[in-house]
Amino acid sequence: MAASPLKRWARSEAVNGYMMISPTLIYAILLLAAPLVTLVAYSFFTDGYLVVIPDLTTANYAEAWSDPIFRSILLRSVIVSGLVTLVTVVLAFPIAYFISFHVPAAKKSRWLFLITIPFWTSYLIRVFQWKVILNYNGVINSILTGLGLTDHPLQMLNSIGAISITLAHAYAPFAILPIFVSLEKIDRSLLEAGLDLGENRLLTFWRVTLPLAMPGVIGAVMIVFIPTIGDYVTPELIGGGKLPMVANVIYQQLLKIDNKPLGSAMAISAMLVVAAVALVFLFLNRRFLRGSK
Amino acid sequence: MSQLNAAARAPLDSRAKMIEFHEVHKYYGDYHALRGISATIREGEFFSLLGPSGCGKTTLLRTIAGFEDISSGAVLIDGKDMSDVAPNKRPTNMVFQSYAIFPHLTVGENVGFGLRRDPRSKAEKAKAVEEALEMVGLKGYGARAAHALSGGQRQRVALARALILKPKVLLLDEPLSALDKKIREQMQVELIKLQREVGITFVLVTHDQEEALVMSDRIAVMFEGEIAQLADPETLYRRPNSRRVADFIGVMNFLPAQILGEAAGHVQLEVGGLGRFEVTEEQASARASGAEPVVGFRPETLTILYEGQQAHDREAPATIDEVVYYGDMTYYDVKLDGVDAPVRISMRNVFGRPVLDVGTRTRVAWSAGALVLFR
Amino acid sequence: MKFSSLKGYAFLYLVFLYAPIVLLPVFAFNSGTIIAFPLKGFTLDWFRDLFANQTLGLALKNSLIIAVSTSILSTTLGVFAARASTRFKFPGKTGVMGLIMLPLVLPEIIIASSLLVVLLAVGMPLSLFTVILGHTLMATPYAIAVLNAAFSSLDRSLEEAAYDLGETKWSTFRLIILPLVTPGIISSALMSFTISLDEFIVAFSLAGKETTLPIYIFSQLRFPKQIPMIMALGTCLVVASIVLLATAEYFRRRGLAKTGAKDTGGFL
Ligand SMILES: Nc1ncnc2c1ncn2[C@@H]1O[C@H](COP(=O)(O)OP(=O)(O)O)[C@@H](O)[C@H]1O
Ligand SMILES: [Mg+2]
Repeated sequence: MAASPLKRWARSEAVNGYMMISPTLIYAILLLAAPLVTLVAYSFFTDGYLVVIPDLTTANYAEAWSDPIFRSILLRSVIVSGLVTLVTVVLAFPIAYFISFHVPAAKKSRWLFLITIPFWTSYLIRVFQWKVILNYNGVINSILTGLGLTDHPLQMLNSIGAISITLAHAYAPFAILPIFVSLEKIDRSLLEAGLDLGENRLLTFWRVTLPLAMPGVIGAVMIVFIPTIGDYVTPELIGGGKLPMVANVIYQQLLKIDNKPLGSAMAISAMLVVAAVALVFLFLNRRFLRGSK
Repeated sequence: MSQLNAAARAPLDSRAKMIEFHEVHKYYGDYHALRGISATIREGEFFSLLGPSGCGKTTLLRTIAGFEDISSGAVLIDGKDMSDVAPNKRPTNMVFQSYAIFPHLTVGENVGFGLRRDPRSKAEKAKAVEEALEMVGLKGYGARAAHALSGGQRQRVALARALILKPKVLLLDEPLSALDKKIREQMQVELIKLQREVGITFVLVTHDQEEALVMSDRIAVMFEGEIAQLADPETLYRRPNSRRVADFIGVMNFLPAQILGEAAGHVQLEVGGLGRFEVTEEQASARASGAEPVVGFRPETLTILYEGQQAHDREAPATIDEVVYYGDMTYYDVKLDGVDAPVRISMRNVFGRPVLDVGTRTRVAWSAGALVLFR
Repeated sequence: MKFSSLKGYAFLYLVFLYAPIVLLPVFAFNSGTIIAFPLKGFTLDWFRDLFANQTLGLALKNSLIIAVSTSILSTTLGVFAARASTRFKFPGKTGVMGLIMLPLVLPEIIIASSLLVVLLAVGMPLSLFTVILGHTLMATPYAIAVLNAAFSSLDRSLEEAAYDLGETKWSTFRLIILPLVTPGIISSALMSFTISLDEFIVAFSLAGKETTLPIYIFSQLRFPKQIPMIMALGTCLVVASIVLLATAEYFRRRGLAKTGAKDTGGFL
């Protein structure tokens, strides 16, 4: 006789798997799925001053999207995090390339370690340090005036550029690691083959290395873009509150002004924008993966 | 070849049944991995499951250990149905293909792992570990870190760890496949000796036909989830029951045969190159893979006759087509007169007897009793 | 691209990465009250202020409570999920794991606001506990990523061997699996701890009247007078994180040595 159906059921892999995953899954359902669903629901409810009235409406979205301030903030958020992503990835690529191709294998992990150390210290303080560096009487300006290069200190804070540099610094390891991983996967003999065939280094880089590294680059883009668009701290500290991004308005609507439906609609809108951008990149990644085969 | 496994012991049939498979089926989803396995393994037997990769050997072994639930049928160990017995409650222990040595424990802790629930005193257990290590030739290795051992040593640790529990059945999944040829051959002999010594039923999985022939009392040859033939090594080699088994075990020559008639337990044949002769019914029970009957014979059942030598039984004229010299042996591919496809003959090299050249005319001695008819 | 120019670039990049960190002790020991060059003189006053600051002490205590709880909770949840995803096949696994890993790709403000909305709706008072809930949600995917690597390098026959040798499923887990994934568990715990200790926006939204270290720091950054003390605090945090990283590396190496596995690089 084979085992009884009940016993076999209890021993089956699927049941064991569900049992094992259940604590984590239940946690995620209660504290992630349910809140997200609530947020979506709220975004279609009506605000009744201090209470939320469950009357379905699309008024919140209409209000958010017709508000020129919200639209410009959303646009700014996309532009800033797009800029941050560009700067971060462009700065990070040569480093990843350097570690992968020019650092001896035994020292690679030491270099990666070196790059991740700054990332382990307080995010707030790291962000604030850029204020110290870029301030009117900050590090850069005191060096410039000290060297007699300028009489008028530069006004660098409260600008999109300052926000971008700060975030590029904060997310540096997130960009370097995925690019490094994809570079490491490249078969070195392919590159030698390219050189053998008489192509010069630059051409080989352009035609072989870069396309093969593309999945890592796109991974880096996603990893940097998604959290930066929702960053709250940097616009506050480095933008001086004068250049709010989407996180700052959502926070204000939800906590300060306490218009939960409008805040929810804004949060969902922001999420949709992020998702749309992410999907575009995922699609690009697919194309690249297929193209390289 | 079978000095060790043909030792005079109680005949298999008179011994108790240790493992019984009754119509065992196993499905992985839609995939039918075991297709109605029925077999009996006797107490103290060295039993091998032999077959190409993917035929279901490991799966069948794991149904004995209890790691796989069977879809239907029954597995009995020592007369008891095992369907509701978990692996940790079965009287079996396993030597895994990867050896599964616990890397964070010492050799001694590995070997003594199964004694954790044993009520004996610490000193007694330590003694048992030391004895088990000695049995596999690792005396004094107890304090070493397990991860620093060589492949052969890991294998011994895995053996000691399984045998220390004195299981009724020891299951071995390709235990030698990861070893170098030399160590592998040495371990084959050691395993046989060990099995004799402890008297435990061994069930060995292997895809190496030579290994199975050397080590086993009986072998089950498996293809695609079914047992194609279950027999002792000699029968398997001399009387394969199908073309497929014959192909899998050793080398066999095949020639198309014409059946002329059957009478009084004999089958009359005509075979190109060999002429007309008859074989017994017992020789004629194997299945062919196609519609055409063929006769098969092993390379060593033919002999090339030198000048002045006489055949004991029959002979056929032939021409040497190809010669491969192996030191102790020479393999000749020979074309029998009137047959296009060459047949292979293996000859032991004897001092003073020259190796023949390609193109030499010769005579081949053969005997109808060494043939198998596949029909 | 030539080797030397790449090396030069790498050097400049390291300067860019480390400049903000290196400036911390520079100003922490500088006696000037304004954070600017030229430096004035050497002082330990800011550290004295730091250690005398009771609000800060309370914030630190709160943060440690939250970080330790988060670390334990998310590593525990991570062990379940990593074990399930590496060992068992079950229908809908991709979707289930996708949901659990979702916080990795969700802007923090979304997590903060959705949690806030729900907690307020069900009437749960905001406290350290609600912050722990949020941080655990955020840290669990990181824990799973680290633990997945540890669990998937386990040979499945190891646990079968222990089971075969008479152990139960639970004792097999305790005697074989747990010791072998311990380095991963330590890495995961340290990572969750660090993520929680440093997290601002979720804590800011869910802490109610309570203060955590990042909330305190954020509130003080508005007051120029407090900045030198924050520099001293930053210096301490840098030292603490380096000690923590060194400890993590030590345990990783020891774990490798114990099982004889090959060193495949940092624990990141
Ligand atoms: N857990 C499993 N799930 C699905 N298919 C499996 C599983 N284990 C084995 N199989 C399939 O069953 C067949 C027999 O496998 P196995 O018993 O390991 O073969 P062998 O040991 O003879 O090489 C193979 O085709 C294999 O792919
Ligand atoms: Mg197998």
